[in-house]
Amino acid sequence: MRPTPGAFLRAGAIAVVAVILQLSGLGPLRFFGATPDLTPLVVAAVAIYAGSIPGAAMGFGTGLLLDLLVGGTMGPSSLVLTAVGYWVGRYREVRDPAHGLLPIPVGAVATLGWALAFAAVSFMLDVGTTVSPLVLREMLVATALNTIIALPVFWLCRRVLRPALAVDPLDARRRRRKPRGTGPLGLRGLEV
Amino acid sequence: MFDSKVVRRRRAALAIFVVLSMVMLTASFGQSGGGILGALQGGAQTVFAPLEKGAGRALKPARDLFGWVGDTFDAKGENKRLQAEVEDLRKQLGGSATAQRDAEQLRALVKLNRDAGFPTDTKPVAARVIVRSPTVWYSTVKIDRGSDDGIKKDQPVISAGGLAGKVSSVSGGSADVTLITDGASAVSAQVMPDGANGIVKPEVGKPDDLLLDFVEKKRRVTEGTTVVTSGFRSSRVESLFPRGIPIGRVTKVDLDEVELYQRVHLKPFADLRRVDFVQVLTSRGRTATEQAGVPAP
Repeated sequence: MRPTPGAFLRAGAIAVVAVILQLSGLGPLRFFGATPDLTPLVVAAVAIYAGSIPGAAMGFGTGLLLDLLVGGTMGPSSLVLTAVGYWVGRYREVRDPAHGLLPIPVGAVATLGWALAFAAVSFMLDVGTTVSPLVLREMLVATALNTIIALPVFWLCRRVLRPALAVDPLDARRRRRKPRGTGPLGLRGLEV
Repeated sequence: MFDSKVVRRRRAALAIFVVLSMVMLTASFGQSGGGILGALQGGAQTVFAPLEKGAGRALKPARDLFGWVGDTFDAKGENKRLQAEVEDLRKQLGGSATAQRDAEQLRALVKLNRDAGFPTDTKPVAARVIVRSPTVWYSTVKIDRGSDDGIKKDQPVISAGGLAGKVSSVSGGSADVTLITDGASAVSAQVMPDGANGIVKPEVGKPDDLLLDFVEKKRRVTEGTTVVTSGFRSSRVESLFPRGIPIGRVTKVDLDEVELYQRVHLKPFADLRRVDFVQVLTSRGRTATEQAGVPAP
């Protein structure tokens, strides 16, 4: 992603909309005892399309906004989402994946990573009471819900980010482009 | 193959974000709600409050639709349970009326001042919930009333069914409420009519099951009895919650031979996962010293 004001504006808009929707809209919705969580999905989406540095920046910004608006301890969300954004971005940079269904596993892993890492940070910081094993079930259900909504969320993020992207890794046309004619050994000039 | 400059830049960016997060964490614990971070949070909440209110209202029909689907599935079981509860309460009503009359007469007999409690001596301010904490680890909500409406820190908050929590921070037009299901919450409570005292604490991940801890083993607690705030008061400390706010109903009692205390499980009256409206009790009533005519120190 080119670091232009437009790119920052687009990523910022995604973060603000996702956090507001999460806090004011999706909060009371419960499916099988859990709530879908947009924040790790949008961070993962920006990271997979833009790379590790924009992913980490998006994670930090989204987490900061979340901590600011929820109140309470500042820092845990930005710390964990920074890590989520960075590692998803690194995955994209190292593996260069391009499958159309990539958002599903990426969304699932990002959500599970966010839930587990946030739980670990909360444990280390200030949970002063007993913890029910049902927390694990809630994490898994939230991951399943996020897996379901990952495709449309990634698609929306891609639509918003696309004008600012230097390379779109999921650009189907790039992969589907017909290779130039080659011979049986795959070498040009040896066509039969 | 890898440009070392790019690698260095990438690592530096990650390090900066991680260090910034750690600094915020450390500062957040050091300042405990005040300071620069507290002011930042207050400012951000004031700026974003109109957006949150608007989003909350715009998305309410969709939320209601999903809620309606869930409610329809639960309605049959709920109806049966409520019918049984009405029968039970009818039985209790006769006894309570007689007990109340006796209590009034005895109070008059010994010239005992009426204790400040709930719902008398409280002035509720209704508020709409505009933000909910997204994780199971922190149970907080934000309401659309703040210091402009007379709300102050530590005031008790009730929901339709009973105690919901307390105000943890306030800005001009909004306030944060820490629910009783938050890991940091602890409420002094009393089992009615047995009178056994304890502390209500939550269990993270089980918002429908609160624990009444530190209840003496010799006090017999039965299932189905109601737990209310005890509103204790001594010369040095005083409970944040007035006496008599219903918290929940006892569902199970753990009597472990090894433990010093019995652990009582209760189901909160308020459905704290789907609370849309709350009331903040902005008036705490007169203190014991004020009632006795002694000026407060």
